[in-house]
Amino acid sequence: MVNLTIDDKQVTAPKSATIYEAAKINGIKIPILCHDKKLKPFGACRMCLVEVEQMKGRQIPACTTPVTDGMIIRTSTPDIIKARKMVLELLLLNHPIDCPVCDKGGDCDLQNLTYEYQVNANRFSDEKFHHEIDYSNPLIERDMNRCVLCGKCARICDEIVSFGALTFISRGIETKIGCEFEGSLNCEFCGSCVSVCPVGSLLARPFKFKARFWALTNQKSVCSYCGTGCNLTLGVKDNKVLTTVYDENQGFHNGQLCCRGRFGYQFINSDKRLTTPLVRKGGALMEASWDEALELVATRLRGAGASAAALATPRLTNEELLLFKKLMEAAGSANYDHSAGYAHAALTKGFARSFGATASPSTILDIQKSDLLLVIKTDSYETHPVIGFEINMAVKNKGAKLNILSDKRGKLSKLPDAKTFVHTPGSEIAVINSLAKAILDEKLAAGSAVSIPGYADLEKALAGFTPDAVAVQSGLSAAAIKQLASDYAKAEKALIIFPVGNAYPGHNADMASAVANLALLTGKLGTEGSGVLCMAEKNNSQGAVDMGFYATSGLQAGQIMDGCASGAIKTLFLAGENPVVSYPNRAVVTTALDKVEFLVVSDLFMTETAAMADVVLPACSFAEKEGTFTSVDRRVQHIKPAIRKVGQSRTDFEIFSTLIAKLGGQAPAAPAAVFGEIAASAPGYAGMSYAALGETGAFAPVDITPAFVVPKTVAVEPAAGKLALVIGSVLYHNGTLSQFGEGPMYVCPEGYVELSRGDAAKLNVAENDLLNVTSAAGSTKLKARISSRMPEGVLFSPYHFGAAEINRVWSGAPVTWVTVTK
Amino acid sequence: MNPITPIINGLKITLSHLFKKPVTLQYPTERPKVAQRFRGLHALNVSHNKAKCVACYLCPTVCPAKCITVEAGEDANHDKYAARYEIDMLRCIFCGYCVEACPVDAIRMTGEFELANYRRQDFVYSKERLLEKK
Repeated sequence: MVNLTIDDKQVTAPKSATIYEAAKINGIKIPILCHDKKLKPFGACRMCLVEVEQMKGRQIPACTTPVTDGMIIRTSTPDIIKARKMVLELLLLNHPIDCPVCDKGGDCDLQNLTYEYQVNANRFSDEKFHHEIDYSNPLIERDMNRCVLCGKCARICDEIVSFGALTFISRGIETKIGCEFEGSLNCEFCGSCVSVCPVGSLLARPFKFKARFWALTNQKSVCSYCGTGCNLTLGVKDNKVLTTVYDENQGFHNGQLCCRGRFGYQFINSDKRLTTPLVRKGGALMEASWDEALELVATRLRGAGASAAALATPRLTNEELLLFKKLMEAAGSANYDHSAGYAHAALTKGFARSFGATASPSTILDIQKSDLLLVIKTDSYETHPVIGFEINMAVKNKGAKLNILSDKRGKLSKLPDAKTFVHTPGSEIAVINSLAKAILDEKLAAGSAVSIPGYADLEKALAGFTPDAVAVQSGLSAAAIKQLASDYAKAEKALIIFPVGNAYPGHNADMASAVANLALLTGKLGTEGSGVLCMAEKNNSQGAVDMGFYATSGLQAGQIMDGCASGAIKTLFLAGENPVVSYPNRAVVTTALDKVEFLVVSDLFMTETAAMADVVLPACSFAEKEGTFTSVDRRVQHIKPAIRKVGQSRTDFEIFSTLIAKLGGQAPAAPAAVFGEIAASAPGYAGMSYAALGETGAFAPVDITPAFVVPKTVAVEPAAGKLALVIGSVLYHNGTLSQFGEGPMYVCPEGYVELSRGDAAKLNVAENDLLNVTSAAGSTKLKARISSRMPEGVLFSPYHFGAAEINRVWSGAPVTWVTVTK
Repeated sequence: MNPITPIINGLKITLSHLFKKPVTLQYPTERPKVAQRFRGLHALNVSHNKAKCVACYLCPTVCPAKCITVEAGEDANHDKYAARYEIDMLRCIFCGYCVEACPVDAIRMTGEFELANYRRQDFVYSKERLLEKK
């Protein structure tokens, strides 16, 4: 810490601080246009000029000047105010005075400073700019006439998002911010540039002209898409969520969001929302009263026993999941599951046996503290983009090494010095095993590893996984495997990151155990910057696991579907889940749902699954309810309602508690009471309360009892003449919910199949050709997308789209072998 | 004072009025001339064949009675215009702040004061009704 004087006030500041930061920490406001706390100092706008006595009273920019001991700084002498006024006059020289029609009016730094400094007239005169305004983009409007060249947009796109879509073009008075070849914006549409723009140059089109900033009520919340647990501020007016508001002080990510977090909120006020309960009468779904619908459901559940089953989306709150479990217990059934027991077996089974806990021992904050990141699947950027930003920053700012093990290349592969090891699909567990083998062979294992139970068995089991043997089946070279192993083992702090979810069938319990073995072997666990981060798919996937909402004594999701088909399950309750689209093997799922006697669906929308139901209950979105969500790294966060409930919709909490009451049970009155129960019973949640969670949430600690487990590997036999189809997530979507968010749908409106240039040439396929993709399970038609990131012989298709019907082809195997014809 | 004098004074005034023009207006056949600064029903000003209003939302912001509803739209040229402009005369207190706040001189107050109606909904003046006033 250094001591200094700012405006005659004795203050202290960290050694690394700039004058601007030192003043900010001590509550002294220095006006600035080009600064954001996430970005590196730039010194472009000249608004933050201050006088430093030691520098002969010269005016220097506060944002780029580091503090030194004994500095005497004045931030608002008459000379400085005069200088700042002139800076504003010069900026306003070219800036159009179109505040009444500019959407930034009321939230504009330039407008506020102009008012604060009383710049009512301009001593200079010049022509305004006449740049063409880019309206071509459905999400981001660019009006460079209003630009003050602070460079924040270009810097955030480069430093944090690592896309580099925007940059300075030309020099001197001609300087402007533009895209490549002065074209239109074509990026990943995270909207970070929009969020930091101090003026109205970059605007969010979905919010365009909707309201003035001051008319919005801001409600802090948590994003309901992926498991990162990003904090959001919802801008609400007239009971509608109109936008997400940027707040640089929010969350670990400092307000940074991805495309779906920033532009995917529209599903909350969608016209397509279900507003009344529907009951099937004479073959058609007819509007009914809540009483009638719930009575019908209760009758079916009463004493149903094992003939009833439930599947929930991991988008419900912890409280709702616990209540749902209680409801099924009241009905006498242990058949309940969410994707955790099914697609998140890595957590429920893999980590449980390897770590003795069902959660990742590392946190997102470890990413930037690590020396080496081993990312399994490049998709981890696409499933959890804000964690991707953390990876970007760790690599670019902190010098972390990045090794990627994936079946295709992706955005992370483009980061500086990133090494991508592209293996054949389905061989990931074998490769990880061979890494462990190489570590053992090279004597790079930590001394403590021998004492962990299962060491001898593992050593024996790994005998067959020599790098040379695995090289043949994985398509990697033995040298590459050895290199990857020694890189990982020799790094002081190393973190393994891998996504799991509905579309990652290979990322199962065995994968988790294989990964855990690596960390345990090298002792890279339990210390800051080291460990394993398993990223479950949905916003509350980890919560669903923590609440125990997965099959322990009852049937798993897949078995429940089989039970429906065989007639063993007679009543199925789906809360927010849309298995027709998101589960593999659509034909099997639809047959099962057709066969089941009584299907209840509570959802926001008339999904493909809800359309098959006997009773449809309109549920509430996250913006209308209270409860807690748990992020992938077990950060428990509290959400509060931002708007009133839409139509007659009810929260799942209310639905479940009414049903419990109808079954003769007693449900807790409010989510707060249930959270009390959770705090008392769920491991790691002890001592938590809503009040203590506050705005930042609380971490539920993870206790680890390590053990080596021999992971099973499945040999994936290549099929002659066929291509390997891998399923996954795209950057803009998450599950099937984002199909109802206009933002994501503007950018990525439909399913597709991505193939390499080589395969495209062989098959004589051009971009956007309609292809028949056929597997043993079925066939579908998809548009072709040709990219250089795919290795030859591998196809990729996202699974989010109901209309694309990729799950007719995809059977749930780690790799589906398909033929492609035009 | 003589107790008769005040009565005589009063009668004098009454008497003088007998010879003056009466102040009563034979409404509705006779109509008052309202002052320039009278604050009657609002009107939206027109320029280039459309409402001058750019939907900047300053009038609903400044309105103390919260009687103005504006919804902005985007026209073919991507310009902002008031897709909806409504004043609820049942709430309006005719303070004139909206006129004062308008940065583009899009709204003014007319001399129209005959605002009685039979149904509540007739008191809600839409953009079309406000534009009719010249």
